[in-house]
Amino acid sequence: MIEVPPIILNILINFAIGLIITISLNLEVGYAGIPQFGRVLAVLTGAIVAGAIPGRILALMMNQPSGADYAYHLINYRLVEDINRVLALNPILSAGIFIVTLVFAACLGGIIGYITAYPAIRLKEAYLGITLLAFGDALQIIAWNYQPIVGATQGVLVPDPFRFIGVGELRFLFATIVMLGIAVLIFLYAERISRSPFGRVLKAMRDSEVAAKVYGKDIPKVRAQALIIGSSLAAIGGALWAFYSGSMKAVAYSRLVWTFWPWAYMMLGGTGNNLGVLIGVLIFSIVRTLIYSYKGVLTSIIPIDPNWLEYILVGLTIVVIVMFRPQGIIPEKPALTLSIEKIEKIRKLKTNIKK
Amino acid sequence: MIEIIIKALAYSSCIALGASSITIIYMATRTFNFTHASLIAWGFYIVFALSSIFGGSPYLYLVFAALFSGMLGILVYLTVNRRLLKARSSEVVLMMSTLGLDLIFFAFINIFADFLTTNYRIHARYFALELKDLIIDFGIFSIRAIGVIAPIAMILIVLALNLFLMKTKFGIAMRASIENPGLAGMIGINPELIYMSSWFIGGVLAGLSGGLLSMVITGYPAVGMTTIVTFFAGSIVGGLYSIFGSLLGGLLIGLSEFLGIYFLSMVLGGEITAYRPIIPLLIMAVTLLIYPRGLAGISLGRLKTIIWRGGSK
Repeated sequence: MIEVPPIILNILINFAIGLIITISLNLEVGYAGIPQFGRVLAVLTGAIVAGAIPGRILALMMNQPSGADYAYHLINYRLVEDINRVLALNPILSAGIFIVTLVFAACLGGIIGYITAYPAIRLKEAYLGITLLAFGDALQIIAWNYQPIVGATQGVLVPDPFRFIGVGELRFLFATIVMLGIAVLIFLYAERISRSPFGRVLKAMRDSEVAAKVYGKDIPKVRAQALIIGSSLAAIGGALWAFYSGSMKAVAYSRLVWTFWPWAYMMLGGTGNNLGVLIGVLIFSIVRTLIYSYKGVLTSIIPIDPNWLEYILVGLTIVVIVMFRPQGIIPEKPALTLSIEKIEKIRKLKTNIKK
Repeated sequence: MIEIIIKALAYSSCIALGASSITIIYMATRTFNFTHASLIAWGFYIVFALSSIFGGSPYLYLVFAALFSGMLGILVYLTVNRRLLKARSSEVVLMMSTLGLDLIFFAFINIFADFLTTNYRIHARYFALELKDLIIDFGIFSIRAIGVIAPIAMILIVLALNLFLMKTKFGIAMRASIENPGLAGMIGINPELIYMSSWFIGGVLAGLSGGLLSMVITGYPAVGMTTIVTFFAGSIVGGLYSIFGSLLGGLLIGLSEFLGIYFLSMVLGGEITAYRPIIPLLIMAVTLLIYPRGLAGISLGRLKTIIWRGGSK
């Protein structure tokens, strides 16, 4: 078996989760032009689903408490250990519960997106951004204080669908590979959207709403669609992170980490450009993981706590990018459509079928 | 009961001051100021650090807090905001730039707190200046001085701002430049000076608000980050385009948050207090969905006719 150093693993997992969240943010900000300052709302929704749903389903199957009791930490910690023991023997059940949870998270994320479309259609710029930010904060406060869903301040453990691999390094390696795979799929999906007619409508709406209206595009509907897709992708990201870390505590889902940092990644890479976003996320995940891993060494070199170095770095990146290179590392380019020969070919094919 | 009302009044006056800071900066420069969080927190820390090192009442150091935050405001303008305003950046870009600066300032607050802890042996990560507040004795009952000083400070600021904007030449130039920058520039008003002074005034108000607020709630490095949404709510409910609107909005938000949770906890039990930060968010969301431009967007004349005709057309 190949040995992968833990630092590489950390970079990869941060990259995978960051990519999913940032791609979803880019879809709403970069393509649709919605100032989404409440990304954490959908991410937290996904994490809540992962904390609340799979454990309860399995507890129900095992005739264990699955109501509000499930989230009580004394019961929950013991119960989830039992559940994990069952999952360890049963790879198919593990995979099933993993997929069901992700689908559920995506659906609930979509609903959240639909709800946020209500203000998003009516408000503009700063007003909208702050309203979305307020929604995210409100959900975090509720999840942090309302015990019956995900255990409030104590949090809940999340059943581990990768337990059948083992418990050590191998489990994390396998989980990271799965999540990277999902991130790549989502990236390809976003690329496909950007090259589809829908992606072009989004960009048209962003650049000139009036012009898009003139061409008969239904602006409220398109905005709502962008929010629904973006939010469900972000919810998948949140659920994946909860599965990976094995526990779900609302305090970990702050607007700083799950809204503002993805903004920084996106702006560094290039707003409105998926490939740029990928590079931005990669750079940031490497730098952040390095700072995090070499904290001890850094403390002896610089006189300040390396935690704050991370903040300075992220802040400085945002400022420098905004001031000197607003288009990011890779500027947005017109999306490539099919070449004229291919379109002709498809047209011929269609006429042949009709004949 | 009277203690609760006094405390609510003190709290909401601080929120009103902070909200007006956001509004002034937004009106003059179209920048929705996220560094507000750090300006508030620096207000907390300047008052706390000076009063713990040199002793004496915290009120003595309010001026330093206000001036320091004002200087930070000028720093924000000179380093980042000026260039972006020249480039005619969009509102979202302006907002993001202040967010980036806020992260840097936040790091420096933490470094400052660490510095205080290691060099002066003060508990700087979590402190309550409330205990150092003066107590005014009225014979029958006694109240904390903040309950009187914060509302008075707010009223004085309102009057001073009003005088400044209405009577002084510079204030009139400032209003002109806010209303129509192009035309103001044509008659020789320097917009850069206007922008810079609005950042300074905004910073001073934020620092003052933070310094006063330190005697109402507990301080910690992230205090600005957690309370900033309340300030935003006050400013937005006030309409973002009127200083007096923002003061009213801040008062409304502060009072309803403080008193609302008090009455709710009497009805529903003490556990509800944990949800206190949701109240301003709810008020803001509801106000915006009904009046997308805040309370200032309501036309008084139309309101009067609606009331006069009893709601019918």
